[in-house]
Amino acid sequence: MKQPAPESGSEPIAAAAHRPATSRNNVVIEVERVSKTFETPRQGKVVALEDITIDVSYGEFVTVVGPSGCGKSTLLRMIAGLTPLSAGKILYQGEPVRGLNTKVGYVPQESKLFPWLTLEENVGFGLDPRRYSRKEREDRTHNFIKLAGLEGFEKHYPSQLSGGMAKRASIIRALVYEPAVILMDEPFGPLDAQTRMILQDELLKIWEQKRQTIVFVTHDLVEAVALADRVAIVTHRPGRIKDILKVPMDRPRNIFEIHRQKGFDEAYGRLWNIFRHELKIRLDQGQSLDSQTLSR
Amino acid sequence: MPDSNSAGSPEVGRPYRARGLWVNLVRLGVIGGFFLLWEIASGRWIEPFLISSPSRVFTSLIDNIQSGTLMEHSWVTFKEIGIGFPLGALSGIATGYLFGRSRTLAEIFEPIIMAIYGIPRTALAPLFIVWLGIGIWSKVGVVFLLTFFLNFFNTYAGMKQMDQEYIDLARLMGASKWKLTFRVIFPAVSPYILLGVKTSIPFAVIGAIVGEFIAATEGIGFFIRLSAGVFKTADVFVGIIVLMFMVIVMNKIADLVERRVLQWQTQTEHVQIQG
Repeated sequence: MKQPAPESGSEPIAAAAHRPATSRNNVVIEVERVSKTFETPRQGKVVALEDITIDVSYGEFVTVVGPSGCGKSTLLRMIAGLTPLSAGKILYQGEPVRGLNTKVGYVPQESKLFPWLTLEENVGFGLDPRRYSRKEREDRTHNFIKLAGLEGFEKHYPSQLSGGMAKRASIIRALVYEPAVILMDEPFGPLDAQTRMILQDELLKIWEQKRQTIVFVTHDLVEAVALADRVAIVTHRPGRIKDILKVPMDRPRNIFEIHRQKGFDEAYGRLWNIFRHELKIRLDQGQSLDSQTLSR
Repeated sequence: MPDSNSAGSPEVGRPYRARGLWVNLVRLGVIGGFFLLWEIASGRWIEPFLISSPSRVFTSLIDNIQSGTLMEHSWVTFKEIGIGFPLGALSGIATGYLFGRSRTLAEIFEPIIMAIYGIPRTALAPLFIVWLGIGIWSKVGVVFLLTFFLNFFNTYAGMKQMDQEYIDLARLMGASKWKLTFRVIFPAVSPYILLGVKTSIPFAVIGAIVGEFIAATEGIGFFIRLSAGVFKTADVFVGIIVLMFMVIVMNKIADLVERRVLQWQTQTEHVQIQG
């Protein structure tokens, strides 16, 4: 199960020397010229991601937005060390990611709570008994369950929870052991609009308290702007970072009236402009739009 | 907590319960009728030494219990199953687990196992007698062989279909190897494992009996064969009753274990609150 080291030819020291002197010190993730090529039996080689470069600072909320199938989930998996890179490198806290990156929290697309564990067992799963005493584990689990409004459901199994509740539990399961970075892969994708907004609001509130770094993948432009400090726009095949936008909106934000907040229109407008351009290219190439945007 | 189902249930419930009662009554009637017909047919239409009769079977059951013969033979068969079945099940589960965890292992040994699986395994029973003698160990061997494969295949199938994302998540959350194995993988595969255990129960009994048929000096299989040889048909049925009883008890135990282990699966009909 061991994964090949992401590093290929170049030596880390040599590469570090090439980095610009302006490199920020508070950077937690550095993705440098990363590519990912998949070998598929039907289509041959498929370039999922090409030449991706992005830095993420401590405490930053970065969203990665792009059409379905553009490889944005793959990017998260590579940061987590779940998928090996084809080229380039990823540094986490200055160290190249080799094998599994157990220093990140990961919130998958579906909640993926362990169905055989109760809610509290699920939430406390990542609390290492070597690091936390029994009392600490219980307290932390309880606090986060309270924070997510799931009190009274501690002994319930995931099959007894609604989609929204399971999602909350899935998020606090990644937060509870306080990894420096949380990777979220379209966590609110399958939820209905109201639940989605409520959870976005809760996520922002928790984040404002804890200020863990979040890299959040989504295909929803509004969500991307509403949550983020910066939005990375990934294009469709091959996935490239088209642009990284700063979102100049104040915090705390009101998710429910995000449209009225100062700066939203401007940020959204810029994002949409880029996307419109993208869509136009794809339409001109004669690709069917609906098969790609509706496939999720 | 609000339960949306409870409101309308009395009206739906009663005919349901009445129907259940009706089904039970008819079932009892069929069984009772069968025994009655058997009792009547025996000695009137068909020779009793061919089919015996419920009353004769009952009398010889009591006789055999009182003389202690039945306990003696049952105990031997019970020992054979009691040793062979857990050993076969555990090693089948362990092998299935290892194959699921190691692709290399699976690639090397899968064809070999499939080839052995292709042999009608009861055909190997005489060999076990040659190797392990006519005592209980040859039967333990046959029971082991029959249980091993069913447990192996079910566990391995469960390992293959298991959602890899659970493993990834657990490892990302820093789960130790022990925790990964016993808190994630085994629970995830447990429905398959239990299915394997349950399907292998009757086969374990078959294994013991086949072994005893071939060569033995004691055991229920031996008792049945001996009784049939001297046309003590009632005793044959007594032996069959004991075997049925064994399978039923083992199934009940398996059900209890299953209900306990898989309680997370059955508790779906509880509260569902939106949001």
